[in-house]
Amino acid sequence: MTLLSVEDLHTHFISRDLDNQIRVARALNGVSFTLEAGQVLGLVGETGAGKSLTATSIMGLLRPPARVVGGRALFQGQDLLAMPEAQVNALRGRDIALVVQSPKSSLDPLTRIGNQLIRIHRAHRQVSERAARDRAVEMLASLGIPDPARRMAAWPHELSGGMAQRVLIALALMNEPRLLIADEPTTGLDVTVQAQILDLLRDLVRRTGIGAMVITHDLGVVAHYCDAMAVMYAGAIVESGPVRRVFASPSHPYTANLIGATPERLQLGAARTVGGPPPNLFRLPEGCAYRDRCPRAGADCAQPPPDVALGQGHVARCHRVAA
Amino acid sequence: MTPVLQVEDLRKHFPAQGGRIVHAVNGVSFSINPGETLGVVGESGSGKSTIGRAVIRLLKPTAGRVRFQGQDITHLPESACRRLRAEMQMVFQDPWSALNPRIRIGALIAEPLLLHTKLSRAERRDAAEDLAQRVRLTPELLTRFPAELSGGQLQRVCIARAIATRPKLIVLDEPTSSLDLSVRAGILDLLATLKAETGAAMMFISHDLGTVKLISDRIMVLYLGGVVEYAPAAQVFAQPAHPYSQALMSAHLPADPEAVLRRHVLEGEIPSPIALPPGCHFASRCPVAAPACSTMAPELRAVRGEATHQAACLRIAEGANLIPEVTHG
Repeated sequence: MTLLSVEDLHTHFISRDLDNQIRVARALNGVSFTLEAGQVLGLVGETGAGKSLTATSIMGLLRPPARVVGGRALFQGQDLLAMPEAQVNALRGRDIALVVQSPKSSLDPLTRIGNQLIRIHRAHRQVSERAARDRAVEMLASLGIPDPARRMAAWPHELSGGMAQRVLIALALMNEPRLLIADEPTTGLDVTVQAQILDLLRDLVRRTGIGAMVITHDLGVVAHYCDAMAVMYAGAIVESGPVRRVFASPSHPYTANLIGATPERLQLGAARTVGGPPPNLFRLPEGCAYRDRCPRAGADCAQPPPDVALGQGHVARCHRVAA
Repeated sequence: MTPVLQVEDLRKHFPAQGGRIVHAVNGVSFSINPGETLGVVGESGSGKSTIGRAVIRLLKPTAGRVRFQGQDITHLPESACRRLRAEMQMVFQDPWSALNPRIRIGALIAEPLLLHTKLSRAERRDAAEDLAQRVRLTPELLTRFPAELSGGQLQRVCIARAIATRPKLIVLDEPTSSLDLSVRAGILDLLATLKAETGAAMMFISHDLGTVKLISDRIMVLYLGGVVEYAPAAQVFAQPAHPYSQALMSAHLPADPEAVLRRHVLEGEIPSPIALPPGCHFASRCPVAAPACSTMAPELRAVRGEATHQAACLRIAEGANLIPEVTHG
């Protein structure tokens, strides 16, 4: 069974403006993807594309005015979005874990890290304090934290960025989740630390066979640590497929532009379509959301673009792509 | 040819709590020629930004010498520095906080001209329009306020301000780090064009190795406030000599799944700049360190007899500086 299958997910921000008129920002517009066990999926896109919102929508962590207005998120066949809150609570932190952005502000500043690890374990498992403590020490050790028994007593502010990120991953792994979602797990970390953290994540997926979704804007991370990738633009996935295939033949004009803008492929001074402003989510154009910026847009782009299958799981949502 | 900037044995210390001292920059020497771009790379706390600020005298160096166009500016009084800043400019990482939110874009771009030239109001306005065009901002943006522009547009405003007085040196401190990929490409394009047009020397500070490789002529690799390697850009990436440069370059992830990674994973974390270790600062984490490394401080020396490629490592002379290769991935 597919570990995670997201189908046509729509999330809107619904609010009232000064004139008491209802305003709807269509932040996610039909996000669909699947994640298999033992696979690392990279979710990429620019600021505001809806990457983090996809994760928080799936996890049921939205706050008003954001609301899921349509779609399903099947975790091992069960729809997370239709489940009673109590059931989601039981899964969240146990079978599905989220590593959020900015490690230093995501740890409880007033609790020693050991106690945070013990707390999350005992919230989901009937184990003694002692057993939970042993597991926490073991987990810190497996994440390469030196002198783990002593580190259990450390406060979050005593940790460096790399250490805090490891503790956050330890928290996520305490209950042996089946699905790990990591939102920008290495942003803001130095490259040598980034490499250590990513090695760790990949080894974990290889060893335990869990599924992982990595949200990032760094195509270097995707190129070297992910098996599959999905590119987001204006709250929809415009292209997805195996990493090597997408890099070798990016088919959606947006993906081609994005990959062409990486320092490795950038030709300074060459004519190219530079990035325009992100689309206005309150007034998305009809049809393809990228057509205002797209160099290849035509009249037919005012119609919703089809998902074109290009073989081996490579799919692009564009009128210009021939199967 | 006189270099635009010559820095000799620059040191900058900051006082810390309890009478201790943070050794942010420890004896850095380099020079930048007209029209040259020097890339400065290193991890957080390596002293990149401190050096950038010290060379244009936003910070007063603790020791050493900074020469700008042959003139010693190390101890120049603040009033003289202000006048000099028409010729040396800085672009900061965060364009949102670098611009006064209550001043219109046109006035922001004209501000350096108001401070440093005797142009009339009308001439300044024309010059601002011309500058806006050069950084590819449309004229209607000139009447807007910073909050109405995107990050990429704001960074263009900052660059327009920096080039307004035709400076000889521009220090760019992480100018593209807060920008999205496609926007970043536009800014890098612009910088390359301006470099060709103005012939200004640039100091490009960044932790993004891919960007530095693309835009720099030479690269200086820093570790704990000291230069560990200083060489032409291509050479630093192809044949890094210092073990730290090797590890740093190996951690770089090119956005190309076909690129083969040579990984050297470093153990431990960067030591505190308050209690600097004796000898080579990198010795505690270095996979090829010898006993002598923790007592003797290495100096920058030519690698394989090439004067342009310098590295500070004792093991190079013995040919024992290369970290054994581990391939994977």
